[in-house]
Order: sequence, then C-alpha cells, then structure tokens
Amino acid sequence: MGSLTIGAKYKTTIKDPGTPGILRMNDDRFTFTPNDPRSAMKFNVDFRTIKGHKFNKVEGNKAALLNLSKEDKAGGYIFEFDNVGNRDLSRDFVARVLGKHQGIVPPRPTVTPENSVASAALEQLSAAEVERRVKLLREDRNYIRSLFLEIFCKNLNFGQQERTYLKMKQIKDQNKGQVSRMRLVDIKPTTDGRTNKVTFQITPEMIHQIFAEKPAVRRAYLDFVPKKMSETRFWEKYCRAEYLVRTKNTAAATAEAAGDEELAIFLKNDDILAKEAKMKIKRVDPTLDMEADTGDDYIHLPDHGIHRDGNKETVDADSELARRTLSQDLNRHAAVVLEGRSLDVESTDPKTLAEALVRSKKEPPSTSIVDDANHERLVKVARMTEIEDLQAPRSLPCMRPLCIKDPKEYFDSQQANALRSLGGSNDGRKARTCSLSTEEAFHHLMDQMSSIKVNKLNCPIIQSDMALKEVSKACLAELQLQEFLELTIPRSSIDGYPGIATAFLVIDPITSAVLYNKVQRVKEAMTQIYQKLQLIKESAQPDALDAAFNHDVEQQQKSSKAGNRHNGF
Amino acid sequence: MRFDLDGLPVHFPYAAIYPEQHAYMGELKRALDARGHALLEMPTGTGKTAALISLITSYSLANPARPLRLIYCTRTVHEMEKTLAELRLLFAHLPPPAARSLLALGLSSRKNLCVHPQASAAAARDSVDTACRRLTASWVREKAASDPESTPLCEFYETFDRAAAAGDLASFMPPGVYTLADLRALGRERRVCPYFLARQMVKYANIVVYSYQYLLDPKVASIVSREMQKECVVVFDEAHNIDNVCIEALSVSIRKQTLEGAERNLRRISQEIDRFKATDANRLRAEYNRLVDGLAQRGNLPISDAWLANPALPDDILKEAVPGNIRRAEHFLAVLRRLVRFLDGRLDTENVENEMPVSFVASIHSQAGIDQKMLRFCYDRLHSLMMTLEITDTDEFMHIQTICDFATLIGTYTRGFSIIIEPYDERMPDIRDPVIQLSCHDASLAIRPVFDRFETVVITSGTLSPIDLYPRLLNFNPVISRSFTMSLTRDCICPMVLTRGSDQLPVSTKFDMRSDPGVVRNYGRLLLEMASAVPDGIVCFFVSYSYMDGIVNSWHEMGILQDIMQHKLVFIETPDVVETTLALDNYRKACDCGRGAIFFSVARGKVAEGIDFDRHYGRLVIMFGVPFQYTLSRILLARLEYLRETFQIKEGDFLTFDALRQAAQCVGRVIRSKADYGMMIFADKRYSRHDKRSKLPGWILSHLHDAHLNLSTDMALHIAREFLRRMAQPYDKTGSGGKKTLLTEEDLQNMAQDGMEM
Repeated sequence: MGSLTIGAKYKTTIKDPGTPGILRMNDDRFTFTPNDPRSAMKFNVDFRTIKGHKFNKVEGNKAALLNLSKEDKAGGYIFEFDNVGNRDLSRDFVARVLGKHQGIVPPRPTVTPENSVASAALEQLSAAEVERRVKLLREDRNYIRSLFLEIFCKNLNFGQQERTYLKMKQIKDQNKGQVSRMRLVDIKPTTDGRTNKVTFQITPEMIHQIFAEKPAVRRAYLDFVPKKMSETRFWEKYCRAEYLVRTKNTAAATAEAAGDEELAIFLKNDDILAKEAKMKIKRVDPTLDMEADTGDDYIHLPDHGIHRDGNKETVDADSELARRTLSQDLNRHAAVVLEGRSLDVESTDPKTLAEALVRSKKEPPSTSIVDDANHERLVKVARMTEIEDLQAPRSLPCMRPLCIKDPKEYFDSQQANALRSLGGSNDGRKARTCSLSTEEAFHHLMDQMSSIKVNKLNCPIIQSDMALKEVSKACLAELQLQEFLELTIPRSSIDGYPGIATAFLVIDPITSAVLYNKVQRVKEAMTQIYQKLQLIKESAQPDALDAAFNHDVEQQQKSSKAGNRHNGF
Repeated sequence: MRFDLDGLPVHFPYAAIYPEQHAYMGELKRALDARGHALLEMPTGTGKTAALISLITSYSLANPARPLRLIYCTRTVHEMEKTLAELRLLFAHLPPPAARSLLALGLSSRKNLCVHPQASAAAARDSVDTACRRLTASWVREKAASDPESTPLCEFYETFDRAAAAGDLASFMPPGVYTLADLRALGRERRVCPYFLARQMVKYANIVVYSYQYLLDPKVASIVSREMQKECVVVFDEAHNIDNVCIEALSVSIRKQTLEGAERNLRRISQEIDRFKATDANRLRAEYNRLVDGLAQRGNLPISDAWLANPALPDDILKEAVPGNIRRAEHFLAVLRRLVRFLDGRLDTENVENEMPVSFVASIHSQAGIDQKMLRFCYDRLHSLMMTLEITDTDEFMHIQTICDFATLIGTYTRGFSIIIEPYDERMPDIRDPVIQLSCHDASLAIRPVFDRFETVVITSGTLSPIDLYPRLLNFNPVISRSFTMSLTRDCICPMVLTRGSDQLPVSTKFDMRSDPGVVRNYGRLLLEMASAVPDGIVCFFVSYSYMDGIVNSWHEMGILQDIMQHKLVFIETPDVVETTLALDNYRKACDCGRGAIFFSVARGKVAEGIDFDRHYGRLVIMFGVPFQYTLSRILLARLEYLRETFQIKEGDFLTFDALRQAAQCVGRVIRSKADYGMMIFADKRYSRHDKRSKLPGWILSHLHDAHLNLSTDMALHIAREFLRRMAQPYDKTGSGGKKTLLTEEDLQNMAQDGMEM
C-alpha cells in the first residue's frame, strides 16, 4: 500500500492550538515528528492500536481535522491539516490501512468499529461487511440505540458543532397563537437516521413561546444578539443545550457548560423565574402553602426521620446545573397559558417580541411587603371553609334552578313561550309587510346591503362581499319562492312570509357572522319548503292544498323566528 | 344554630347539621364524659372539623368547673389554616359574651412567624432560627446592655420581653382567633415578636392549633408543650398516618456528610473551649460544678435560649447526675471524637448490616470505650456545653447534634429500634452512599406520653379502616371506637375500579407490568378520554415520583400529553415545594376561570397529605396503581418483622392496609360536602380483588357497585358521562322520603322529643 508523508498539526485536544510537524504513515505504523525538535510531541504508533478514525466536515474557515481513536478508548490522536485535500488524502489512506487490519482480525460481532461507520466511510467497506452490519443492526435494536447515543454524545463532546444543523424556517402559521399555544414548546430534533445530523426547527411561534416561558433565555437574547453573536448562532446554542438536557447526558452537559458560558445560561436554573416564584409564594392562599409546611417541620431535620424506607426518593439538588425536568416545563407552560397576556405586537421579529414581553412583565407593582391582612384573601379562605349546603339559604333573589327533566318537553315549552311573546308584534308586522310589494321588499333589502357596505362590518369573520353574495342569493331564492307561491296559492295566506329576510335584517344588529348564520338558516328553511311543496303538489288533494299550505307556511315562519329568538338575538 | 345534645347546649355555626355530625358529636361527648380516648372514622366531606370544634368549645363553655382546653393537631400548616378559618366561623356564631372570652391561636416555627426584616429574609428554617438567636440569646442581650452600639438586638423581642416581665402579654392579644397571618400582622402593628408571644400565649389559650410534632416529637414537644395540663383535649386530625409520624419522630440517620460535619463542629468547639479557658475560665468551672451537683440542664432557660430538646421521651430521660467522666468539657469532647471515629469505621462497610441497639451499644463499649450511660447523657451534655460556650449559630452545629441524638436514643432504648447500615440505596446500587439508620419500629413509643398525660385524646380521620388496627399499632384502649358511614341525599360519589384499557388488556402498576408500553398507553388513553368528558378539575395520583416522571415522559413521547393539553392545562407536583405550591395555585385559578386543569400528584407526597380538591377543583380523581411501599426497603422489612412479632400483624395485611389507606386518602380529597360530587377511578386490576378492595373505608365501599368492579376505559367513560348528567340535575338538599340527610333545629327538637317519649 505504500506510505504517505504529509504536513500536519498534532493536537491533544480540539481546542489545543496544535504542534506543527510531519505525519508519516505506512501500512503498519504512523509517526509524527514535530518541526520543533525540542517538543515532546513525538510518537510512533502501531496502526493495530487504532480502532477507528473520524473526521469533521469542513465549512468556511474551519480547520480540517482527522481523529484516530485508540482501541482502549483512552483518547486518540487529532491532526489538523492545512487544507481539506490533504486531510482527505490521509483519511483515505488511514481508512485503507484500518480496513486491511480489521479485515485480518475479524472483529467480534458486538464490537464493530462503529466510529468508522460514523464517519460516513461506508464506501470504504466491502459489500459483505456492509451486509453483515446491516444484519447486525436489524437484529439488535438496542444496539442501534446505544450506537446512536454513543455517536452523538461523542460528537457533542468533541465539539463538532457543525454537525448540529439549525434550520430557521420561517413558517407562516395561518392561525398562529391559536394552535401552538395549546402545546408545550418542544423542539424535537429530527434525524434522518443515516447521517450524523440533528435538525431542529424553530418557528417564530415557538420563539414567542420560548421567550414567554423562559425569561432567562429572553434576557440572554436581548443581551447577546446581535452584539455578541448572530441570531442563528444563538438559537444553535439554545438547541444544543436543549439537546443535552433531552438526552440526559449530564456529564456532557457539565463539560459543555464549563467550556461555554453562553451555553451554560441555558442549562442553569432560570433566576428570573426563581425571583418571580419567591414573590408569588407570598401571595398564595395560606391553605395551599406547602412552603410554610416545610418551615414548620422539625421531624425532618437533616438526618432525622426515616429515609430510604421506600417512600421518599432522594433527589440530589446540589448539581449547579439545573435538573430541569419535563414537569417544570409543564408547570411553567400552563402558568404562561393561564396568564394569557396577549401582546399587542404583531411582529415575528424575535427582538421586538422579546422587548414587548419584557415591557409587559414590568407592569406588576413590586409590593415586596407581604400583605398579611389582605382582606380579599381572608374572604376567600372563609368562603372556602364554609360547608355550602349546611348554610341557611342566602337572601338571593328567588331563582328557580334550571331543571330539564325531559329535554323535548322543555324545548317545546320554550318554543311556546317564545311564540306567545311574539304574538302581539306579529300582527303589527303583518300589517306593515302587507303593504310591501315584491319590488319594495327587494329595494329595502338592497338598501340594507348598501348601508352595510358603507358602514363596514366590524366583525369580519367572513368577507363582507361574500356575505352579500350569500344574502343576495338567498333573496333571489326567496323572491322566486314568493312568485311561485303567488302563482299557486291565494295571497292572503302567505302575507306574513315575504318579509323573512327583511325582518331579519331590520330587527337585529348586523354583524356579518350573524348574518351568515341567518342566511344559512333561511336557505335551509326554504329548501325544506320547496321539498314540502313538491310533496304536497304530488300527493295532496287540490281542495286540501290551501289548508295544507297555510299550516305549513305558518309553522315554518314560526319556527324560524322562534329559533332565532332562542339564541338570544 | 343552637341545639341540645343530651343536656349539653351546643353552638353550631351552620343553619343545619348532617345526621352523622350529630352522631359524631354524641360519641365525642360520651368520650369527654368518660374522660377516655376516642377513635372516630368519619367520611371526608361531612364536616368533621366543624363538629369537633363546636362540640368541644360548647362543652367547655357549658362546664365552667371543668375548663377544657383544646389542642388541635394538624399534619400540615395549610390544614392548620383551614382549621383556624373554621374556628373563626364558629366564633362568629357564638353568643358574644362567650366569644369575647375565648382565645384561639395557631403556632408555628420562627420561619413562619418571624417579622424581623433581616431575620425573616433567610431562606431556610434553620437560618431563621439562628438569625433569631443571634439577636435574642440571653448572652447577646447581656452584651448589648454593656455595649449597645455594636450589638444589634431585635426590637420585636425586646417589646415582648418587657411585656412578659410586666405580666402584660394579654393586652397584646385580646380574645379571638389568630391565624399565622394574623399573628404576623399583629406583630408588625404592635412591634412585638409574634413567635414568642404565641409561644407564651399558648399557655393561656383556650384552643391551640399546631402541627403533630409539637406533641409527638420529643425534641420539640418538651420545649413547646411542656406546660399543657391534663385537662386538655388533644385531637389528631387526619390521623391515618399517625403511626408513621410517631416512628419518624424517633428515627435518626447518619451519613458521611454528617460525620464530616460533626468533626468540623468538634474542632470548632475545641477552639471555643480554648478561647474560654484563656478569657473566662470561670464559666467552664461553673458548668463543671453544676454538673457535679447533678443538673444536666440549667434549670429555667430564658425562652429565647431554648434549643431543640432531648430526643428521648420525657419519662425515659435519666434524672441523674451526669457521669463523672464527661463532666469536663475536654473529656466530653474526647468521648465524642471517639464516637464519631467509631461510627465512621462502621459506615465503611460493604455489606448491609442489621443490628439491635443492645449489640450496637456493646460494640461501642468494647471498641470506643463509651458505656451506655455516657451515651444516654450525650445530648444533655452537649446542650449544656453549647450554652456554656454561648454558641448562637445552631444551624452550623446540626451535625454533632445528630450524632448526640443518635447516641442518646441508642443509649435509652433497647427494644423497638434497629440499626441498619447500608452501603448504598438498593434502587441505585452503583452510587455509594453509606448510611447508618436508627429506625424506630414502634409507633406506640412516641405517642405513649400523650396518652398518659392527657385525659382525652381523639384520633380521627376519613380513613381509619380497619379501625381495630390502630389501637394495636398505637397500643392504647379507646373508650369509643366507631366508624361512621355517610348518609347521602344522592349518590354524589362514584367510585369505579378500572381493570382494563380501551384495548381490553389489563392495566396495573405491578412491577412487571408498569413499564409495559401497552399499560402506559392505556393509562394515557384513559386520562385523555376523561379529560374530554369531565368538566373543570381532574386530579391524578401516581404511586411514586419516579413512576410519575417516567409515565409523564412516555406520554409526552407518545404525543398523548399534547392531546390531553388540548382539553385541559396540566400541572405537576415536583419535589420542590415552592414550585408545587405555585402549580396548585395556578391549578385552582384554571379551575376557577373555567379553563379546566389536571393535577398530577404522588400518592404519598405532600399534596396527597392535605390539599383538598373539592367542588370544581376535583370532579374526578384517578388513582393510577396501588400505592404499595417499596417492599424491598430494609427498614420496612425490619418494621414488618417487629409488627409481626410484637403485635401479631401479618406482613401482607399491613402492606395492603398501608397501600389502601393511602389510596383512600387520595380519592377522598374530592368531596367536601353533600352538595359536592366527584368520581373516583381506581385504575389497577388488583383493586378488583376482594382482599385489596375490602380494606377501603366503608363509605367508599358502600358506593362501589358490583357493576363498577371490572371496567374498561370505554365503560368507565360511559358511566362518567351518565354520572355527570345525573349530578347536573337539581335535587332536594334535605333528602327525600323517610331519610333525612340534613337536620334543622326543628328536626333536632323533634328528635329529642321522640327520644323522651320513647
């Protein structure tokens, strides 16, 4: 296979600036000779002790790295190359040599050189080897998981941040603020399963929620962006911290936090929240206050009482990095939803959002003194303690409780009531509408519509022109019906009828939502009438027709009006 | 209302009374008449507290010759607040002359009562105590008298002290009801220390409300409750866990950190001794002379100097002279050093060891040369030394105090205890955390002095089933022992046993099933379905924190949690009390505003212990699993063995009893009055077995229909819908037919007349 000699820097750790020197590799060993003869970084290593190799993805001005990891997991050799070409050259060489060595000594099935899998060096492997691995993976799901975790944690430990991609997708959420506020912010990483890539998606909606639920992140954002870092970088760090929390890799989290103070902010306890909690706890209902309870508990002095009897679970809270749990997130989320402070800012720009949230937070007065004689609280506690049904009946205005034994009966009686109350005014309207001709009614309707057009609808649930279209359709249908009726039955019997649409429009305050509903109802009623008319025409005796119509139309009119009243209009 | 109960005029703060309250008062009165103890189980939601306080107050008002005083013990501070609120309601209904003569107050720690701006700002209880002692200890005040410039004092305490000296304390506290908040407000207004005022006024108050440990834990009881007389009636409310409180009060454990801390303390004490030798050798000599005279304690300490007292029960403390070889401070210090070193050696074990106190004391004697009598005096000797050395920062000295507590307890008791040394927690075998645990197994030890000292002790709760077990556990003879059922106007509680999920597979938290994804999903589906059908608040109880954590995480991963949150907000109990309190507060807000919420809680946790989920705060409670104790715990095994040998209580029986009382306690939190209603789902297949179910209290069992014993999710949902619709109908509060469930004054008069005629 020959040998390869190349200039490289040897690094003990990723952050090490490195010792420049010459890397020589042949089939069996590789040696590194530093340029500076006084340097102690000189070694000669057998390839057989090398278990695998890894390399990074080079982007921008990042250095090209190659990591040869040792068999005993006690670290490895990291080399930095001047350019990607050199790195790739030596990578390929190493891959070949390792392939050869590992081919000679067949690895035990459980100890696959997973690191070379990780390095996307699949093309270097023989087809048989790939098959064997696929089979192995298929057989043992746990193995995949452990492999996955190992690869990831390693990569995170090595700080190969570029493997964690962040995609900022500005997704325009149509009904934003509605759906996602119901959910917990949950930045789930997605992996495609093949490459070593974790993708996070953050929408403006999520940013809003993160800012609302995690004031420390908000503050960090305002402090850091864009002075100290770019927005993308900020969210990248945030996602990284989230990822560490999610994988519960405390060791990695501690290591990362030690090296990166901005990242540590996301892993620490939220001090703003803690301060708020301290304030709120003083105002809490004393019959709920469990903190007071711990303050009174002398049985559980440290080291007193019974531990480990299976009831108490010891939680060591001494770790400086917060043991953030899902429970805390859930509580916080629900609290924020409950506060329900809607911002007047309709912006998707995180900066303005964050500032608006800070402003809205500032308003509560900081009454640091506990109001022990808080009257309201006393009243509340007193009310809570009373046993309600032992209390003498209060002098409330006499009200009968709503009793619905039989729903059908109830609604029938309600309808009767409504009709009775309508009875008087019905005559008056009859007289008035009587005088209207079809054209007049139509004009009246058109007037109403134009007035709506001019005055604008103040509750635009549907577009006003759409509503108009619907109304005119309904009116046309009604006019047709009226003509039809006039042709078939004597006018007197349908006197009350033609005004339905007009009456709706005249009587009620009009918003387009209401209008829309009503139009729908009118349309429904009219299709029913059509059907019934059709039926009657087909089946009924001609002499009974008049009576039938009378009845039918009356019923229809009544029910449409009564139903209308029903909803409180 | 005011009515006559067998010749006793009773003031009751409501216009009507439940028949079971009436019966309860009758039993209580008989116990008071007989001057004996009582054990009364009455369902939650029938107004136990109101009945209790009105009867006892009326009794003492009616018998001026026998001035009864009430000591009302609650388990938690928030229950104390509830009781005080009930008392306030009662006082408002008493005839004015009576109300003007009664004083009722709550008592708590400095942490909850201190109003000094700096001292009260400290976060932990111990730091508040220490901060207070720095300002009020007798030697500090002596020093301030000579050097007022540089020694800050507490003005609140000074006011108190002047008033106490003038015998004028009562003027600060006119009769009435004082909650903790009232006491603080009073303290701020009158510039007087509420803590010490309350401590002093406890002697004169007619009704004192405080926590269990102020009577049961000898460390606290002998300071606070020393002066309570025999005439007091002691009530332990919500007492179903009283045996656990009793054994905890006498248990101590020692860890590596304790020993390290103790060594630090000893170094510091030794420095202090050297300092005193150089500057004020007389003090040490005076102490020595006092000890030669046989006084371990210095007689009457000023109230502000009192520190946690001897951990042994008052009757068991030796009234002898301190042994000669620990009278000198240096000698005592050497003894403590040897003891700490011995314990350190014992802690260094690889195996679990289980020893009786006798053999442990013997090995201390042979290896460290400390005999039993010296061990017994450890605590008092330390206390005396600390006083002599004028040490104020008691929180720093917790460790050495723990060691002395341990020594005194093993020197005093030979039976009812065992010493268990474990190198690690069995559930986390890889983490080495050695601990020496002195655990008490006999609940009757701690409560014995209370039974002996007071004429009438009432133990009451909604869950005391089986009621014959408690007299055995606590070793006493009640004159009255009764379990009341609930007379209901309508079936306002609806217990169900859910054994299967929607896929008809069994659900359980049995160890081999609990992590099964099928079970997790079925539990999740159950909650989801219920969340969509039940209005307002739902409470869920899980068997442990770790289980809750696990299952909530799984639901989150499965997406079930998100679906649940579409219906209701979700709040969770966490080990952090502040967070849990705020979560509860928000939960109530969410229920109040109609948003609806779900609270996840733990069966043996703090929330289950005393938070009510009555009315719309809890329309449904789901108990996921049977809350058994962790049965492999060595302490539990030792206790079970002791119970079997001493009281002939079988292990299985005790475990089931214990699990079911917790479950019943959890589900019982939904009912507050007969106008209230709620459902209870026991979601575990094991509840359908008779041996488990039969241990539930009678008032739940009587509503558990046979048809509700083996339900699947869809059936339970159907029943829930039906139940809710039925409950939404109006009903006659006073009960229909021949059965009266609400008695008015008139009814009671008629009843009395009927009784006379018969």
